[in-house]
Amino acid sequence: MESILKLQNISKRFEQHEVLKSVSLEIRPGEIHGLIGENGAGKSTLLNILFGRSIVHQTGGFSGNIYFNGHKVRIRNSQDAIALGIGMVHQEFALIPNMNVAENITIGSEATFRYRHQTDGYQLALINKKANHAQAKNILDRLGVTINTNQYIETLSVNLKQFVELAREINKNDLKLLILDEPTAALGQEDAERLLEILQQLSNAGIAIILVSHRLEEIMSVCDNITVLRDGEVSGRFSKESFDLKQIAASMIGRSVEQVQSRARKHSGRTILQYRNFSVEMPGESIENINLDIYEGEIIGIAGLAGHGKLALGNGTLGIYPSSGQVLFNDTFIDCADTTAALNHGLYLLAEERRETGLLLDHSIMENIIFSAVQQQNKFLKPFIFPSLRLINKKTAVDYTRESIKRLDIRCRNQQQKVRLLSGGNQQKVCLARAIVMEPRILFVAEPTRGIDIGAKEIILQELLNINRKMGTTIIVASSELDELKRICDRIVIMYEGRIFAVLAADCDPLELALALSGKRSDEL
Amino acid sequence: MIKGKQHTAQLIILFFLVLMIILAWYAGLSTSRLINDSLIRVFMNGVLVLSLLPMLNAGAGINYGLPVGIQAGLLGMCTAVNFGCQGLLGFTAALLLSAFFAVLFGYVYALILNHLKGREEIAGIFIGFSTVYLMCFFWATAPYSNPAMLWPIGGQGLRLTIGLQDYFFKVLNHLWVINIGHFILPLGMGLFFVCLCFLTYLFFKTKLGTAINAVGENPAFCKLSGINIDRTRTMAIILSTVLAALGICVYAQSFGFIELYEAPLMMAFPAASAILIGGSKGASTSILQVILGTFLFQSVYVYTGPVANTLLMPEVSEIVRVIMVNGIILYALIYAGRREQA
Repeated sequence: MESILKLQNISKRFEQHEVLKSVSLEIRPGEIHGLIGENGAGKSTLLNILFGRSIVHQTGGFSGNIYFNGHKVRIRNSQDAIALGIGMVHQEFALIPNMNVAENITIGSEATFRYRHQTDGYQLALINKKANHAQAKNILDRLGVTINTNQYIETLSVNLKQFVELAREINKNDLKLLILDEPTAALGQEDAERLLEILQQLSNAGIAIILVSHRLEEIMSVCDNITVLRDGEVSGRFSKESFDLKQIAASMIGRSVEQVQSRARKHSGRTILQYRNFSVEMPGESIENINLDIYEGEIIGIAGLAGHGKLALGNGTLGIYPSSGQVLFNDTFIDCADTTAALNHGLYLLAEERRETGLLLDHSIMENIIFSAVQQQNKFLKPFIFPSLRLINKKTAVDYTRESIKRLDIRCRNQQQKVRLLSGGNQQKVCLARAIVMEPRILFVAEPTRGIDIGAKEIILQELLNINRKMGTTIIVASSELDELKRICDRIVIMYEGRIFAVLAADCDPLELALALSGKRSDEL
Repeated sequence: MIKGKQHTAQLIILFFLVLMIILAWYAGLSTSRLINDSLIRVFMNGVLVLSLLPMLNAGAGINYGLPVGIQAGLLGMCTAVNFGCQGLLGFTAALLLSAFFAVLFGYVYALILNHLKGREEIAGIFIGFSTVYLMCFFWATAPYSNPAMLWPIGGQGLRLTIGLQDYFFKVLNHLWVINIGHFILPLGMGLFFVCLCFLTYLFFKTKLGTAINAVGENPAFCKLSGINIDRTRTMAIILSTVLAALGICVYAQSFGFIELYEAPLMMAFPAASAILIGGSKGASTSILQVILGTFLFQSVYVYTGPVANTLLMPEVSEIVRVIMVNGIILYALIYAGRREQA
């Protein structure tokens, strides 16, 4: 069959750095093509080229040919791409928050009143709101999602936004190629499966799909072909018959991976942190009346779908979001509104949005690692009469940073490199290093492995175990990766609708865990 | 090539500067005198430009509210003159008094700006403008008694300009002057500027300094590390205001007059231009950028005047300068906008 999209020897460089080296790709109509690779392998750059994003041309364009439907095309901007029939579902949503669902779905292809269309032309024709809402509802029904089309985007949860974004692309009549960048990253298991089903339907209708995802299992379940990128080169091509998880993973990272596994232990019996009727008002992630005892020295996982409150515990305890109720640390009450006091007690939080709240992207690795310790514990400082005007002791700081870089295997030029230039996995290692300097008694970590490739993931999980075993730090991990929680935790707390639904042992039945996430107990079935 | 793009502004100015030197030479102007003038102007304006740095690094943008600090400096100098402080010691007294008033002014200024996070630049313009006119009342009714400062008729209210001839006129300019042929190096004034630069550099290596830098880049991150963001920003704003006050003292002793009433109104713009030419890109401006920017801006300023007057027509220089000052700010804004898009 004639291919819908053919990429020939696409190369792209940013300054001295070659991010794509002569990548070729061919996709037939109706094919679901998986595109995988570690962070920084060049997936996003390839997608940006395909969708004509301005950053590609501002940084000097690319070389190579793109054939669409058999014709050689030049995609200079996103409008060109859309005109060809290419749709893209972005990882960070491209939705307008203060417009409603129907307006967002039909944007650019609004239904208008016909007579006004004839008299004034399409651009000035009056929009037929009713028809648009009907159209939006029709599309959403096809997707199997029920949302009031009058609702504003900003009031929707993350997973619903994902479906609205998809609906907008499907709404285009002449859609021939749909690009999805990590569409399931923000979704829970159930929603992710529904989304994959939708992709199957679209593929049956003859639309070609490029799917980028970190979740190898789902890529393997829906894709017809897989292309693996490594360091800007195609390092492997697999077709449905030859899918093999180990081989694919090996071709992604260039070596095989060993998974971290710890055995669940019995707790020490001494509580270190007690929550009594604890509530946190965190937008989209609120929790209510939580009662929980956390034992000294354990690793406790908090699982739950997006929006069910798994992130609120850490944020509330450290005073990032307002909370009520009581928290006892070592049997004494602590004031959760006071972040500084919490830090002084030895509590520390690595928040879920690494790039937004976890790092100073334009500062060096060293400055990032020592920052909290300098500010809160006066470490790495030279003596001076005024405590806040003490100079940073560069020598001890550099020595410490070098040691951390070596221990955590942070891939970088040197300790002065800006954190912005590191890959996601290495950025997370920098965050961990910063927590380690603080020598916290209790460490809250949220989504430690989100958006991180499989090689770096294991190092981070191993390091969490090291912090726990060697420093005796109690760790509270909130994560949507059940498999990882099962591997490193002693107990797992399941959050459902802002409340604790169950506390399970880490070696429980995976089915029980999956059911609990959606608010069901196995004995209810 | 991409590197060249980042420094387009500096390259254009540098090219312009070379052109001006050639033209000056062609017009028969004394180059060594022009170089001397530009050096003095760098030291004279440098501290004012430096004063923008703490607020920039704290994420409060360019301090268009520079008149706030300048008026603290004017108040300090007027008080010193009122008590008849003379010479280097008198100038030191003026500096100390200015710094004292600047701390008070800066604190109030910070209280306002902390309510206006993200809009500091536009707020600064209007805070600057309104305080200038507020202070006009003060200058007109101030209880100063030194007749040299007061209107000769009526004996009440300060004059528009107060001559410093009998007080601390050019005390820094004339401190440790070294003559090398035609070239005169005002070492004392230079050292004063360099010392302040060095102290600011050291400050940003301290605990508080690094906190200010971090707050400028990512307040959410700082909150997680237990930093009081408003307090840190207040410190930066006070430091900016104090430096601005010291800056105007240096400027005034070199200029020879304390200029009151509406004079501080537009003083933020040349300083802003200078730091933008230096290549400042918001929250991570370096001392080197301050020095480079002041040098490029002031040199062009010194050269365009005489050259334009000689080659074109008299008095055209002021027009050229105004176009330059505002054009550079505009260019920097366009450039900043383009970076955000990408």
